[in-house]
Amino acid sequence: MAYVRVDGAVKFFDREDGTDMLVLEKVSFDAQENGITCLVGPSGCGKSTLLNAVSGLETLDQGHVEIVSNQSDAAHLPRIGYVFQDPRLLNWKRVEGNLIFALKGMRIPEEQWQERIQKYLNLVNLLEFRKQYPLYLSGGMRQRVGLARALVIEPEVLLMDEPYSKLDQLTARKLREDTLSICTRLKQTAVLVTHDVEEAAYMGDRIVILSARPAHVTEVVDNPFQPVARDLDDLRFIEFKKKLLKSVLRSMQ
Amino acid sequence: MANQEKILIARQEVQSALNEELTELPRRNSNKINEGIRNIGLRVASILTLILIWWLLSLFFPPTLIPKPSETFTEVATIVSTGNFFSGMGSTLRRVGVGFGIAMIVSIPLGILMGTLRSFESFFEPPVILGLTMPGLIWAVLMIMFFGLNETSAYAAVAITIMPMLAISIWQGTKSIDKDLIDMSKAFHASPWSKVVDVILPQLISHILAAIRYGLGLAWKVVVVVEMFGLSNGVGYQVVRGFNIFSMKAVLAWAISFLVVMIIIEFGMIGWLEKAVTKWRPRAEAWRR
Ligand SMILES: Nc1ncnc2c1ncn2[C@@H]1O[C@H](COP(=O)(O)OP(=O)(O)O)[C@@H](O)[C@H]1O
Ligand SMILES: [Mg+2]
Repeated sequence: MAYVRVDGAVKFFDREDGTDMLVLEKVSFDAQENGITCLVGPSGCGKSTLLNAVSGLETLDQGHVEIVSNQSDAAHLPRIGYVFQDPRLLNWKRVEGNLIFALKGMRIPEEQWQERIQKYLNLVNLLEFRKQYPLYLSGGMRQRVGLARALVIEPEVLLMDEPYSKLDQLTARKLREDTLSICTRLKQTAVLVTHDVEEAAYMGDRIVILSARPAHVTEVVDNPFQPVARDLDDLRFIEFKKKLLKSVLRSMQ
Repeated sequence: MANQEKILIARQEVQSALNEELTELPRRNSNKINEGIRNIGLRVASILTLILIWWLLSLFFPPTLIPKPSETFTEVATIVSTGNFFSGMGSTLRRVGVGFGIAMIVSIPLGILMGTLRSFESFFEPPVILGLTMPGLIWAVLMIMFFGLNETSAYAAVAITIMPMLAISIWQGTKSIDKDLIDMSKAFHASPWSKVVDVILPQLISHILAAIRYGLGLAWKVVVVVEMFGLSNGVGYQVVRGFNIFSMKAVLAWAISFLVVMIIIEFGMIGWLEKAVTKWRPRAEAWRR
């Protein structure tokens, strides 16, 4: 497994008029091993940009991202699984084809494919749909395929960018529960980006609060509840959620 | 006890009523089938009407001007049974096929590059637009003058006529490609080959098929003209031969059999291909596009 260290991340984007727009203003945080780190902040603050920087899709103007893995061979590229806000599936490939696309991309030996597809589709409860095309599945199921595609490469770090924000409330809630239990079971190091404070309180072992744009870290909160003890109706948990909401609101000013 | 049994029976009745209601649901389908049969019937009737009009006209004109349908179909049977039809049609199809192949090999990469790189777009836009505007017949003449009366000029004329159109479709198709999927493929470190084959081409396929459909229409015309100008086989050649011996029957027989082959290719094969490559898309989605 691995952990992530982001140190002094700075990122500018070009505005339409050509001027610079500061999006990340020296963001630093650690994502600990075997746990979910939640980045919570208002929409447009730079969360996706930050996650893209961690994955290497986006380069930083200053600062750096370190993915420290116990597979300490120098040439080793860290394996990163990415779950997007939209499922971003290849709709012309069957469910298993979408998983194979990731396996192939990450150069996983072909003899492991079938076993892994079986294991991870089973984990997200979609084994019986492995031959189905994505557009025949519901939104929640498609998002599960996206999760399975990220897990099937057995990533050292799992990145999730608001993966539930486009789902209806009930589907999102179920998927949150399932993702949390899967990550706990796999001892998965994960970074989850969200603007939903309840989601952060429920999913995050550690919650990193970001300010409005330009994003910087205003507070880091460790979740006092173990994953199994996070009960949305429990009064103490609600208390914790409220406290977190206050911190997030404060950080937006 | 008796009461319970009554309840059970009542339940079963409700259940069977529910079931009946369920089995009634798919009924609308039969309407659709009827509608389908009616539509096919109308099409057949339309073709029969055309033949009837032809036959009526043939009563008033000498057979050198308008031969009887029956005589013409006999002629069709003759060219088919002597094998003339297959060799002539084969030559024509080969020319269209090779020309198409060349055009695809050039236009698909060109269109993709034009859709992705600004500089390619600006540089190739003028020639593509000019090429598109040029009538296919002029391309045919130019290619014959350049390459001479041989196969090469037929291949070249077909290729160059459809290239611009194919390139434009793919260029526009590439511009509408989902950038998020490209990012996704980067996140999973897809190889350049996999990016093209698994991510880009499937998004272009419907554009390519539409272009092929339209390109075929152009290609038939051009290839026939080249063959008329002076190749020694193919449908165009046969039509000119019929013209030279002033046999309306022969000209029509070739025209009709050519028509049938074109329809089989355009509606049968391309239609089938279209279905095969879009089976991942549910019906309703296909409608919305
Ligand atoms: N490629 C880009 N070019 C220019 N501006 C961008 C680009 N990507 C994002 N932005 C801008 O950067 C800001 C942060 O975006 P993002 O990281 O997507 O926010 P979040 O995910 O927190 O909602 C937004 O104002 C967005 O418009
Ligand atoms: Mg975002």
